[in-house]
Amino acid sequence: MTLQTLKQNLRVAYAAFVITLRMNAPDAFVLFTIVVQPLVIAVMAMWMLVERGAANALYVVVGSGMTGLWSTLLFMGGNSINWERWTGTLELMVGQPTPVSVIVFGKNAAVVFQSLLSMVGSYSVAAILFRQSLVVEQPLLFAVSLILTTAAFVCFGLVIAPMFLLSPAVQHFQNALEFPVYMLCGFLFPIALLPGWTTPLSYLLAPYWAARALHGTSTGGASLQETLFAWGMMLLLGLIYLLISGWLTERMLYKARSEASLRLE
Amino acid sequence: MEVHSTVEVRDLRRVYRTTIGVLRRRVKEIVAVEGISFDVAPGELFGLLGPNGAGKTTTVKMLTTLLIPTSGTARVLGRDIVKEADAIRARIGFIFGGERGLYWRLSGYDNLRYFSSLYHVEPQVARKRIPYLLELVGLADRGKEKVEGYSRGMMQRLHIARTLLHDPEVLFLDEPTIGLDPVGARELRQMILNLQAEAKTILLTTHYMFEADLLCQRVAVINKGRIVALDTPAALKSNVSDLAVVEMEVFGMDPQVVERLRGLPFVDTVSVENVDQRQAVRVQTRRGSEAVPDLMNVLAGLRVDRVVVREPTLEDAYVRLVGGGE
Repeated sequence: MTLQTLKQNLRVAYAAFVITLRMNAPDAFVLFTIVVQPLVIAVMAMWMLVERGAANALYVVVGSGMTGLWSTLLFMGGNSINWERWTGTLELMVGQPTPVSVIVFGKNAAVVFQSLLSMVGSYSVAAILFRQSLVVEQPLLFAVSLILTTAAFVCFGLVIAPMFLLSPAVQHFQNALEFPVYMLCGFLFPIALLPGWTTPLSYLLAPYWAARALHGTSTGGASLQETLFAWGMMLLLGLIYLLISGWLTERMLYKARSEASLRLE
Repeated sequence: MEVHSTVEVRDLRRVYRTTIGVLRRRVKEIVAVEGISFDVAPGELFGLLGPNGAGKTTTVKMLTTLLIPTSGTARVLGRDIVKEADAIRARIGFIFGGERGLYWRLSGYDNLRYFSSLYHVEPQVARKRIPYLLELVGLADRGKEKVEGYSRGMMQRLHIARTLLHDPEVLFLDEPTIGLDPVGARELRQMILNLQAEAKTILLTTHYMFEADLLCQRVAVINKGRIVALDTPAALKSNVSDLAVVEMEVFGMDPQVVERLRGLPFVDTVSVENVDQRQAVRVQTRRGSEAVPDLMNVLAGLRVDRVVVREPTLEDAYVRLVGGGE
């Protein structure tokens, strides 16, 4: 890839990022997944854990925020290619010179960026409604973890989006994917509470390492070594997701062009 | 020096596969395009004319790299549409008729700004080109409004602006005037002529004969996936120069009467179009006005309001080629 191509692709990703933010802003479904649902989860979890102190409250804030992040990515990011098909713009997206995955990257980045709001909402609930004093113990490490979390979630979304278009059968299970990932990634409780055979599955999911990094740096419960390891896993899995998504997107496009399914007639 | 065609199509074929049945699923094949071949010269305005379902849109989708052919080859600007799709995409523009394909929650201006990014138009170029194109398509006053408030004609004009953003060398226009009001359609046709004057190569599909006659230098008539004629509009019209056309407005004509008209030895084709409670009947015949009394005999007992005998048009050539009203 030349410097010129890189510049052009970055410009396209940024354009996709901006229009997605603008189009999602008035969307009631987006509002529900990034604000209402995480708030409901945060309120319920806080009621259960409010007596156990500030560290638990912070765990709930970060965890419920991550549920918003995942739900938004699953429904909005997962459908980012399908949505173009439903609105009749997928043919235009495919028939132009920029690789489709660059556009999906920009769209997913917007979705994940927007869903960070859910963490702000959860924080506000804990601080105002439950009068918890919430202090992030390792703010610098937490900020870096948040940036890497955003990148890891965007890459994860790049795998889901072509898969949903490639196989409608997989998309039928879209709703069912929401809660298992909450649990497998330890958003709201440690995965040690789950049966041992699920642990390898958790390790393959970048959101699990994101949850570890965010929980660890916010509550101060993780050593620097543990945080660095979680960052490394996020980067490694993100890279693997990128490679898989590139292959999947190519296959998806070839299949759609062969089967004439770029447009809903 | 050898001059290459801008579009070269050889034995292009496309079959759609679909399944029917619930418990016992069977694969059904529908041949949309059946081995067509043609060339479009640089700077030519070439028409693909045919009824609905003839294979026009399928052909355009293959040429714009959006659909992979079942067999055959095609090259656009010397590049293969399957193996070199990426190289073609930056140099062509396309529109498909209809309201879809725009971001309704964004303004017309923002739609164009987004698409200019996708086509790698430099921001400083886009800043000048977008207002120019909005002006060109008559949307300068409405460019800042959301597309959801646009009429169908305005959306179609925005599509034209979108497809010109990156100044493509070849344009594929699939039924661009469909659904437009007469004034809007006339403006759009003038716009297409202006684009051709800028030496753009244009492949236009339409099922309006007069549109093909007015705009195209050559026309391929496509029916049931096959090209049944390919020539200039004048040459196609000359194919029916031996015929006259008798047009009649009849009330309450049943299918048996139509068959009796078709059975007359001097009748070439009969097409019938239902308009409200009457039927507009068009008979192509070699006997000209002399055929009228015999036609009236067949229509005896029915109310016939208007009878006109006229010279054949491109539409009549088309009707003859695609088999009348059958």
